[in-house]
Amino acid sequence: MDIKIIKEKIELDEVKRMAEEGFGDMVKAVVDLEKKVIALGGELHADANGVLLKEGSEQKDVWGINIYPGKPREEWIEFNSLINIRPAVGNRSRGIENEEIRAKIIEIVDKLVQ
Amino acid sequence: MTPIHKELALGRWHAMSLVEQLANIGSEVSRVTHWHTVSDQKGKGKAVERALELLDLTIADEKNRSRLSELLRLREVFCDTFLGENIYGVSPEYLDEYFLQFGVAANRERFKE
Repeated sequence: MDIKIIKEKIELDEVKRMAEEGFGDMVKAVVDLEKKVIALGGELHADANGVLLKEGSEQKDVWGINIYPGKPREEWIEFNSLINIRPAVGNRSRGIENEEIRAKIIEIVDKLVQ
Repeated sequence: MTPIHKELALGRWHAMSLVEQLANIGSEVSRVTHWHTVSDQKGKGKAVERALELLDLTIADEKNRSRLSELLRLREVFCDTFLGENIYGVSPEYLDEYFLQFGVAANRERFKE
């Protein structure tokens, strides 16, 4: 599955196409909170994570989510990724326990996915 | 039948350690748990397919031969919990915790903070 780095905008229809070609209903994504970009796609979040690191992202700034483009906006982001497990910073689950980080991710995704 | 995880099925999956494999399966299992809890059958169905594909790739991995009995039991329990009548009495939360340990282990070296 191709991984796209989204720095400007991406159309919702394109995200839907990526979902259909991949897992059917969802696209994996990794978000850089500092650079405010998204690496979209890939079979594992680790793949998109690697792409962002090669582009200059720092691990501490990137978090994994899943986007379900067929769902309403208020339900379409799932905070669930293996790369989120970071006991050293207090995140011991696949979710994102920090509410501020979740809010920033929602803001970035809402802005970039039109 | 075309695999859902095309690149992983071509060999990448078998290059991963068992810990990494189970950690990644755990992510799918947690999605199954979520959709199961909110009674979203469509989401649950797709997540089950993905989880089983990865579990079956793990079972087929030659290097995991010595762990086969646990892997096969795991598959059976997974199916019983989410698709069967839960005759083994294993909760989704228990399975999630089982897999989470592999996630913590897999990430310990990978993402040193």
